[in-house]
Amino acid sequence: MEKLKNILNKYETEYVEDYKSNWVKAKLKNKEDLLNLIKDLKEAGVKTCSTVSPTDFIDDNKIEVNYFLENLKDKKNVWLKVDLPRELENCEIDSITPLMPSAKWHELEAYSTYGVKFKGHPNLRYFLISRDYYGKFPFRKDFDWKAHEKNLIENVNSISEEFFEEYEENEETFDKEGSRTVLNWGPTHPASGPIRLKVYVNGENIEKVDADIGYVWRALENLAERKDFIGTIVAVERICFMDNPNPMICYSQAVEEIAGKEITPFAKFMRVILGETGRIASHLISMGGFFGTMGLQTFLMWCLDVREYFLDVLEDYSGARIATACVEPGGVRYPLNDYKAWFETLNKAINEWERVKDDINDIFLKNPLMVSRAKDNGIFTKDDVEEFYLAGPIARASGFKTDVRIDEPYAGYGELEMDYVTCENGDARDRLFIIVKEVNQSIDLIKQAMKKIEEGVEAGEMNPAKDHLVRMPRRMPAGEAVTRVEWARGEMLMHLVTMDKSTSPYRLKLRAPSVNHTMVLDRLISGKTLSDIPLLYGSMHICQGDLDR
Amino acid sequence: MLFQMSEKIIRVLKGVKEPRRAVNDFVTESAHKSAIFRGRHEVRYDICTGCDACNKICPVDAIKMKPLPIKRPNKVPEVSLSICIFCGLCEDVCPTKPEKAIKLSGGDINMITEGTEDALDNFWVRVDVPEEWIEEKKREEEEKARKKAEMMAKKKAEAEAKKKAEAEKGEEK
Repeated sequence: MEKLKNILNKYETEYVEDYKSNWVKAKLKNKEDLLNLIKDLKEAGVKTCSTVSPTDFIDDNKIEVNYFLENLKDKKNVWLKVDLPRELENCEIDSITPLMPSAKWHELEAYSTYGVKFKGHPNLRYFLISRDYYGKFPFRKDFDWKAHEKNLIENVNSISEEFFEEYEENEETFDKEGSRTVLNWGPTHPASGPIRLKVYVNGENIEKVDADIGYVWRALENLAERKDFIGTIVAVERICFMDNPNPMICYSQAVEEIAGKEITPFAKFMRVILGETGRIASHLISMGGFFGTMGLQTFLMWCLDVREYFLDVLEDYSGARIATACVEPGGVRYPLNDYKAWFETLNKAINEWERVKDDINDIFLKNPLMVSRAKDNGIFTKDDVEEFYLAGPIARASGFKTDVRIDEPYAGYGELEMDYVTCENGDARDRLFIIVKEVNQSIDLIKQAMKKIEEGVEAGEMNPAKDHLVRMPRRMPAGEAVTRVEWARGEMLMHLVTMDKSTSPYRLKLRAPSVNHTMVLDRLISGKTLSDIPLLYGSMHICQGDLDR
Repeated sequence: MLFQMSEKIIRVLKGVKEPRRAVNDFVTESAHKSAIFRGRHEVRYDICTGCDACNKICPVDAIKMKPLPIKRPNKVPEVSLSICIFCGLCEDVCPTKPEKAIKLSGGDINMITEGTEDALDNFWVRVDVPEEWIEEKKREEEEKARKKAEMMAKKKAEAEAKKKAEAEKGEEK
């Protein structure tokens, strides 16, 4: 930490201070210093950029750009701020993408939504937003949504015409050297989900992959600004339906931090149970999806069958299976009047997994077809993980020890016993194996948390019918917070800014792992053949919900 | 040949008699029924206070308040089921005790409402307040208002009498 502070103090800063246990927060005075500072930080081991998040302070006439830089090995992170003028012509800053490739798409996103120009970015273009927004920057506070809607309705034909033009020319021939075809893999491919990969192929060999994203962009970050602090949970949980409770836990932590409230031990362990149940529900789809993309649907059906039992658990607690809205600032939303009956459902689900576990291992994980296709295919090394910030299971499949639950314990994880689960090779097969290992780890964590709650109730320290919620103030003080949780598919980071006496968030940045995982697809798939696309794409466990937000 | 055909026919006929396994109607019956399943809303106009809290908290603006010609409740919520996301926040903020005036938990999985058959955009939880109930409430309110007015007049008269007495006392002194 001292080392990082010394580096930051070399430059002109407004302040350098500690934030939480493993962050250093600093504000640069001159934006010209940024590149030199990043160079120095990179030498000190801070090699990855988690995300770039601009905040529009319209009253002060400035845009504040937040950089979240992480050292994945030593877990020492830097939160860097730079002020920029708000006028479109002067709103520019040096791009850090040449130094930290992991910032590439995050900078594009900041440019498309806030109009912050990044000088020196390899390919600065409009990204994620649809054509009707070009040049208008929808997340700025003075963006006129009504006028935009009117314009959209008037010009809907010309907007869609442009879109069709892009699909027209797809073939080039070079005499004897073959030809280049652009194949559109998705958005209607059975394995793709709403994403389009423009695959440049010569015969069967893939030369380049270009991802076209934004098909399910719902501007969740902006929607959150229009809801009150409790209503925001329904926007946040819609990042991705597969792992539902964890984003709400992340958001609730940020609100609690600003309000300065501490939740009860019972709520902490409930968050562990709900979060892990969500993780299992997501992993079961990921697992089945891996085989589903290969054309073997049986395993997908098996996984969905087990998943139903875990959704029953969520339904018994919250009353909904997918969009549960079960965690809110101040704790968890519902009391547990009959905790024994709920644990019964939970045990039933766990037993169901234990029942099929061995069969899954014998039939599918040793499947010779899968092994021959996935083994030693699409390998990520540890350096790749740091360079492109692959998070969660993808990083751990390469043997990289990273897990927010251990590095920066939240909820009840600090009091539970757990260790990093890792694989060694980092190929597509390991990215399947790690998922199975993590499901087993989650079940172990659920059992530990259940035990803690039972002990607490017996000792009279917890009351499941009353302890679930701490009263939160209706109006928040001014402040900002950064929280992270280990989501099913990697690290999720939220940056919440509030104004004094506000009833709704001023700015909520959601950082989701699938962005980086889609960014590296070009590197992963180039040089392979066409038949590898579904397999390698499935092995990255990408969800378009959190890719586009 | 004939024997085979008749055998097949008999086999099929046997199948008709046998009880079918898939007889659960999933429109009305869910596979797993939770006691607090968030389903179709029930709005109780008789305990609603018309406080507008559910309308204010609704994150998707699915609730519209229907005005009533009485003072309390002066409006009751109606929910558009095609917009509603069934988050249940309206139930959480509803101040009535012990029963909530707007309630989803334990609600029905069957979302088809009256009138949906006629037009698909008529997909609402409507509140039908009977005329007699409104009339009764109106009468009660009038009664209350009359009593209140009487009380006020009485109080006013008493206060004036007091003032007068005091003034007279002052004069006497």
